[in-house]
Formats: sequence, C-alpha cells, structure tokens
Amino acid sequence: MKNYFSLSGSLLLIMLFVGCHAEPDRLPILGNIEVRGTDTLYHLIPDITLIDQDSQVLKIASLDNKVVLVDFFFTSCPSICPKVKKQMLRLYDRYEHDDRVMMISHTIDQRHDSVTVLNRYAHNLGVNTDKWKFVTGEKDSIYFLADQYFVSVVEDPTAPAGFDHSGRIILMDPHRKVRGYCEGTDPESVTAFFETVDQLLKEEYK
Amino acid sequence: MVVSCTSQPYSQGHAIYTAHCEGCHMEDGSGLADLIPPLDSSRLTLSDPSKLVCLIRKGLPFNTFTGQQMPSNTSMTDVELANLINFLGVEYGLNPQTIKVTEIKKMLAACQSE
Repeated sequence: MKNYFSLSGSLLLIMLFVGCHAEPDRLPILGNIEVRGTDTLYHLIPDITLIDQDSQVLKIASLDNKVVLVDFFFTSCPSICPKVKKQMLRLYDRYEHDDRVMMISHTIDQRHDSVTVLNRYAHNLGVNTDKWKFVTGEKDSIYFLADQYFVSVVEDPTAPAGFDHSGRIILMDPHRKVRGYCEGTDPESVTAFFETVDQLLKEEYK
Repeated sequence: MVVSCTSQPYSQGHAIYTAHCEGCHMEDGSGLADLIPPLDSSRLTLSDPSKLVCLIRKGLPFNTFTGQQMPSNTSMTDVELANLINFLGVEYGLNPQTIKVTEIKKMLAACQSE
C-alpha cells in the first residue's frame, strides 16, 4: 500500500511538472543571472574581434539581428571535429536560405590554422562563407570566448593532436545571449536542436 | 554499417575501424565533403592493398586535394592492419580477396623502402 501511494505521489509530481512546462513560451537564457536593484543582468558573450577566412575583421556585436550557431574546432583535428562538422553541415543545409541564421566556427589552433588554411577548409567544405564564417583571433581571446560560450577547450599535449575540447554547438541570440546548445558529436542531439533553433527564430522575429 | 552483421565476418576489423578511422571517415565511410575522402570512392587505394597498407600505417602529411593530413597509425599491429584491410574489402566490395598477415609484412617492408 505504501508503495502504491508513493507511486501515485510521484505520478502527481510528474504531472505537475509536465503541466508547468507544457507550453514553454521562451527558451532559457543560459549563464549567471545577476540582480542589481531593479536591473537583471544576464550572461553576455563579449564583443571580441575575430578574423575570418577572408582576412576580414568580424566583431561579434556587428552580427546585426542574427541568430548564431557556434562551434570550436581545428582543421587538423583527428578526433571529434569531423563529426561535429558533419552535424554543422546538417544545420547549414537546414538554414542555408534563412538570412536570420549565421554560423561561426572558431579555430583553437592559432599556430597551424592561418587565414589561408581556414579559407581552404571552408572552400573544401563547400559552404557559402557569407553565411558560415571560419575565424581565428588572439589565442587568449578565443579561449576566453570558448569559456564564455560554456565550451571547454584545453591545450593538452597528451590529447589527439594536442587539444582537448568539447564538440558542443551553441545557439546565441541577436542580443549575444546564449539560449541553447547540443552535442555536435550526437546526431540525435542535433535533430532535437533543430526545434530549439526554430523556437528562438519564432521568439526573435515575430 | 551498411552491410549487415552476417555478411561482414571481420568484426575485429570493424572494431579497429571504429577506434582509428571512424572519427574522420564516419561510421558509414562517407567522409566529409571535399575535406575527408569517402571510402567507397577511394578506388585507387582500395583496389591496391599494398598502397592501402602503406597509407594506413604511414599516413599522409598533406593531401594536396583536400589540404588535410591523414595521421599515421604506427601503434597498429600487423594483425590489426590485416583485419582492418579485410574489413574494408568486404565492406566496400572493392578488394574481395583476403590479405594474410605475412603479405601485410611484405607490403610494409616494401613501402618503408620507398
């Protein structure tokens, strides 16, 4: 009998939980939230200066009104990067003709991945670089940026090719707030992420 | 994989593929755009096992077509190499004859002297 009650109790809790979340009106804003008096301060991606595959300056704050999909990689990566890129390509295919969406892949290997190398990589990936940028920058800035996107990146001589990093794909809104992510190594996670991106687009462009 | 378990006798070769190759060449061998070659179209290497043996063991520092490098696999034993190549042969149907370990050893000796 006791078991029966605890079971119905947990069912009730589950139903309450589902009830609360049945209509998610907005995606969460990820990161620390600080309340100062009447102001609520959200985690903002810093406006770092990057250099793209055409040697052009790219300021994060200059991405006017775009929803941005972000990842971190390096071109000579023998571990997870190709799989993440394959999933980024799925996202690219889905939003290729949607001008509200942009994509940025940051190299974490500043020594090897020059602008020339990035340019060739983008070309061989066969994507439109107006939509999908491949960027480098000051190493410290890129590593700091990865941290701000909640992506772990560590230079590790024992890791394959010297870097240990996460294959997360991050979703940033037009106000430089992080609104979601998926695991770029897991195709199912990316499929679910399509809906997250669609939802943000609905929220931002009513 | 594309081929079902029953027609792929090289389960060890499959495991070696998963551990060493799948990260770049993908589970289905499809590769990545013009960056990582798909295995089913790599007829040159797959039709000539001696080239494939050398390529897998020594890697390629710079592929002039893709701009990418292929890592070497110096820790792979000759037996593992034979299993892998026989797996690829069955999987992609391009190299149906079975390669023996003794042949692998000869091929390796030949590519090292190049």
